[in-house]
Amino acid sequence: MSASVTGVVFDIRELTIHDGPGLRTTVFLKGCPLRCAWCHNPEGWSYEPQVLRGPNGDRVAGHSYRADELASILNRQAPLLADGGVSFSGGEPLRQAMFLEAVLERLEGLHVVLGTTGFAPAEDFLRVVRRCDLVLFDLKLMDPEAHRRWTGVDNRLILDNLERLADSGLAYRIRTPLVPGVTDTDANLRAIARHVRELPGRPRVELLPYNQAAGGKYAACGLEWRPDYDETVPCRTDLTPFQELQVDARVL
Amino acid sequence: MSAILEQRQSALSELSPRLAEMKRRIRAGEHHRFRITDSVDILAECELEGLDWTQRSARLTRRLCEAQTVVIEPDERIAFTRTVKRIPALYRPEQFGELLAGRTFHELGPINNICADWGMVLGQGLLARRAAAQTARTRLAGDREAEIFLDAAVETIDAVLELAGRYAAVARAAGRDDLAEALQRAPAYPAASFHQALQALRLCHAVLWLSGHYHCGLGRLDQYLWPYLEADLAEGRLVLAEAQELLEEFFISLNKDSDLYPGIQQGDNGQSLMLGGVRRDGRNGVNPLTAMALEAGRKVALIDPKINLRLTRDTDLALLANGVQLTRIGLGFPQWCNDEAVIPGLVAAGYDLEDARDYTVAACWEFIVPGKGMEVVNIGAVSMPAAADRAIRAGLQAGEGFDRILQRAGADLAEQVRALADTSRKLLLPPAPWYSVLMDGCLERGRDLSHGLKYNNFGIHGAGSANAADALAAVRALVYNQRRIEPARLIQALDADFQGEEALRSELREDAPKVGNNDDGADELLVYLFDRFADACVAAGDNGRGGRYRPGTGSAMYYVWLARGHEGMSEPTVGATADGRRKGVFFSSSLAPSPDVQVRGPLSVLQSFGKLDYRRICNGGPLTMELADSLFRGTEAVDKVALFIRAFARSGCQQMQLNTLNVDTLRDAQQHPERHRNLVVRVWGWSGYFCELDETYQNQIIGRHIYGD
Ligand code: SF4
Repeated sequence: MSASVTGVVFDIRELTIHDGPGLRTTVFLKGCPLRCAWCHNPEGWSYEPQVLRGPNGDRVAGHSYRADELASILNRQAPLLADGGVSFSGGEPLRQAMFLEAVLERLEGLHVVLGTTGFAPAEDFLRVVRRCDLVLFDLKLMDPEAHRRWTGVDNRLILDNLERLADSGLAYRIRTPLVPGVTDTDANLRAIARHVRELPGRPRVELLPYNQAAGGKYAACGLEWRPDYDETVPCRTDLTPFQELQVDARVL
Repeated sequence: MSAILEQRQSALSELSPRLAEMKRRIRAGEHHRFRITDSVDILAECELEGLDWTQRSARLTRRLCEAQTVVIEPDERIAFTRTVKRIPALYRPEQFGELLAGRTFHELGPINNICADWGMVLGQGLLARRAAAQTARTRLAGDREAEIFLDAAVETIDAVLELAGRYAAVARAAGRDDLAEALQRAPAYPAASFHQALQALRLCHAVLWLSGHYHCGLGRLDQYLWPYLEADLAEGRLVLAEAQELLEEFFISLNKDSDLYPGIQQGDNGQSLMLGGVRRDGRNGVNPLTAMALEAGRKVALIDPKINLRLTRDTDLALLANGVQLTRIGLGFPQWCNDEAVIPGLVAAGYDLEDARDYTVAACWEFIVPGKGMEVVNIGAVSMPAAADRAIRAGLQAGEGFDRILQRAGADLAEQVRALADTSRKLLLPPAPWYSVLMDGCLERGRDLSHGLKYNNFGIHGAGSANAADALAAVRALVYNQRRIEPARLIQALDADFQGEEALRSELREDAPKVGNNDDGADELLVYLFDRFADACVAAGDNGRGGRYRPGTGSAMYYVWLARGHEGMSEPTVGATADGRRKGVFFSSSLAPSPDVQVRGPLSVLQSFGKLDYRRICNGGPLTMELADSLFRGTEAVDKVALFIRAFARSGCQQMQLNTLNVDTLRDAQQHPERHRNLVVRVWGWSGYFCELDETYQNQIIGRHIYGD
C-alpha cells in the first residue's frame, strides 16, 4: 500500500482509557456509515474535515495525514507504549480501510487494537483485522429492526463480519454501549449473551456505561441533540444475563 | 510481608470517627483558642548577658519552649499544639546592618528549606545527642567558637526535653499513661515504638518552626519509621490498623499550626516527605509504610504533609496504583521522582552515590540529602523568556543569523547566572543550634550547620523555559526559515503588545513548532537553553561555601513574577514575547507546555521534556500536568494512569506533578467560595486551599492544559 495514501483523522488522543489493554494512544478516523442515536462523536460522521463552532471559538475537526506521516507519529511513541499500544477508532475506521491498512503496514513494534462497528465490506474488514492484535467489536442491538431504528443500518453485515472474525482465530472482544432503555434492556443483553456464547473463542463482553455528556458536541457540529430515549435514567449495569450463560462480561 | 499487605487493605477506607472529628476541629481552627497573645521578648536578657548570635538563637528556642502552654486534647494520641504565635527578634532592627556587614540574608533569614536526619535523631535520642555535644566540648576545650556552639546546642536540647517533660506531666495527671510514657521516653531516648517515634518526630519538628526555621522537611519517612513499626508488629505490640490510624493522626497534626508558618501563600510551607526509592546500599527500600503513607495522605486529604514518591521503570504497578489513588483525589500528591534520572544527576554534581540514593526533596522539589546538606536550593531564577527575548531583539536588529541569536540567548543566561552568583556569595547563613543538633556531624565537629555540611550547593530555578523555547522556535520557523515575518514588524508588534497585530500573533501561536508535541523544531531549543544554563552554572564556579551552583527546571512563583514583575525582585521581567504571548500573561509553571498552545497529549509532553539532559540539571523542578477528574471514570482508569507513571519513568523525565482537577468545580468555587472551603489544588511545589489563593493564582490553574477531558 502506498505511503502517500491519505486519510482524515479527527483526533489523536494519548492516555485513552477505554480503547484496549494498557497505556494507549487512540487515532480517531473520520467518517461513519452509522447514525447511532447516542453517538457522542458526531464530528466522526462525515469523512470531510469540518469546522466546529464552540463557545471558545472555532476549531477544525479533521486533519489529513499521509499514511507514512501518521505511522511515524505513532512509531515515535513506541518507546512509551510498551505496556499498551495504539488503537484505531472513529467514526468507523474501516470507512478508510485502504489508508488504515497502509498505516498498519508501517507500524513498528506497536500492539494494535481496532475498534469497529463491523459495518464494512467483508474484504476490507478481513484485510484490516488481520493486521491487528485485538479487535474490539461493537455489538449494540441484536434485534435487526431495533438496530435499524437506533443506528440507521441493518445488523446483518455486522453479524456476518463478526462470524468471520470469530472464525479467523484473531483475538477479539465484544463491546456493548449501555444506553438506557435502548441497549441495556434485559432482552437485548440476553440476546447478546446467547449470541456470544455460540461464538468460537467465547470472547469477553465489555459493557460501556452511558456517558451523560454524550450530546456535548452536537451544537458545535451545527446539529441538534435530541435523544429519543430518556438519558437521565441511569443505565443498568446488570451482569446477570451474561453470568447465567457463563459469558465473561465486565463493566468498564 | 503479603499478610501485612492483606491486613492493610482490609483497613478502613475512610478516617475513623475520632480522626474525622480531629480534622474538622483543625480546619475550623478551634485549637486557635489555646494560642497565647503575650509575645515573648528575649532582647533584654540577651543584651544583659551579652549573648552572641548563636547563644541568642539557643535562647530563643529555650524561651519559646518554656512559653509553650501544654495542650492535650482528650482524643489525641500524638500531642503538641503550638500556642506561641510570634517568633521574637534576636536583635534590634538597627543592629542587623552591623550584623550583616554588607552581606545579605536568604529570604527571611533563618535557616530553611533543608531536611534533618530524622532517622539519626529518633535512633539516638536527645540525651545521646547531648552526650555527643559534651564529649566534643571536652575534646575541643579552648576552641571558643566550639564551646559557645556546643553550649547553645545543649541549651536547646534541654529546652526540648523540658517541654516534653511538661507535656508528660500533664498527660500523666490526666490519666493518659500511654501518652505520658511516650513523651517521657522519646525524644530523650531512642524511640522504642512506632508511636514514640511519631510523637518524638512531631515535637522535634515543631520546635524547628518554633525556633524561626521554616520549610522544614520531613525526609524519607517510610525509611526511618519502618524499623519501629516492623518491631512493633513482630512483637505483637501493635496491629496494622492501629498503626495506620497513628500515621494518619500524625499527618493531621502537621496541619495544626501551618497558618503560623511563613510562605508566599498559605500552604507554601515545605512540610514535604519522601516515600519509596532505593536504600543507601542500592536495594529496594519500598516497605509496607510506603503504601500506608500514600493511603494516609488520601484519607487525611489535607494540604500537609506534601507527599513525594520515588520510582523507577521497574517499580511495582500496585504501588504506583496506590499513588494514583492519591493523585485521583486532586491534592496534587504524590509528586513523582524518577530515581533513574535523579540519582545519576546528583552523582554527576559531586554527591557520593550512597548519599545520592538517599535523596529527598526540600520544600518543593529540590533534591537534597537529609542531614548532610546545608544547601540553599533557591537563590533565584534565570528568566529564560527574558534571555530569549533580548537575544531575539538584539539579533534581529543587528540583522544577524539565527545561530547568533542562540549564542546571544546563551550569553544572556550566563550573565543572569553570574549576577545571581555574585549576589549569592554575599549570603549570610545565621547560626541554628537546634537544627544543628538534628544534622549529621555538627555536634561531633563542634560547628554549627551554618558553617556548612557535607553538601553546600546553591540552586537556581530555570523558569519560563517552554515559552522561551517556543519564542525561539517561532522566530526560527517564521522569520528565518519561511521568511513570512519581517524582523522589524515582529519587533514593533512585540513593543505594541500585538495591538493591531492579531494576525501576526496567531501565526506565531499556530504556525510554529511548540514544546510539548515531541517536535524537535521546538524541543531542541529547550534542550539548548538548559545546556547553556548548565554551562553557566559550571562556569560560575565555587559559591563561596565550597559548593557549586545547581541548575533546575522549576519555576516556583517566578512563572508569575517574571511575567508581572515583583517588588524587590532582581530577575528581569519581560513584556510580550515572540511565541505570541501577550505582556503580563503568566508563563507555565516549572516544566509544562506554554499556556494555551496546542499539545497532542501527555505522552508527547513526556517525550518533549524527556529530551533534557537531567544529569546536568539536578536542582529539580517538576513536569507539571493536569488530568481531568472525568478521566477517572471507569474501573480501569487507575491502572492506566499507573502505566502512565511508568511511562514517565521510561521517558527519562526527572520529576512530575500530576494534578487532578475539574474546571467547573474551580469556577464554581470562585463564585461560591463558601461551598468549597476544603477544595485543595496544587499550586507549584505545594498545595493550598483554592479559595484562599489570590485570584491570579486561581486563574492560572484554571488555564492550565488539562488532559483526558
Ligand atoms: S458507530 Fe460510533 S461513531 Fe458511528 S454513529 Fe455510532 S456511535 Fe457514532
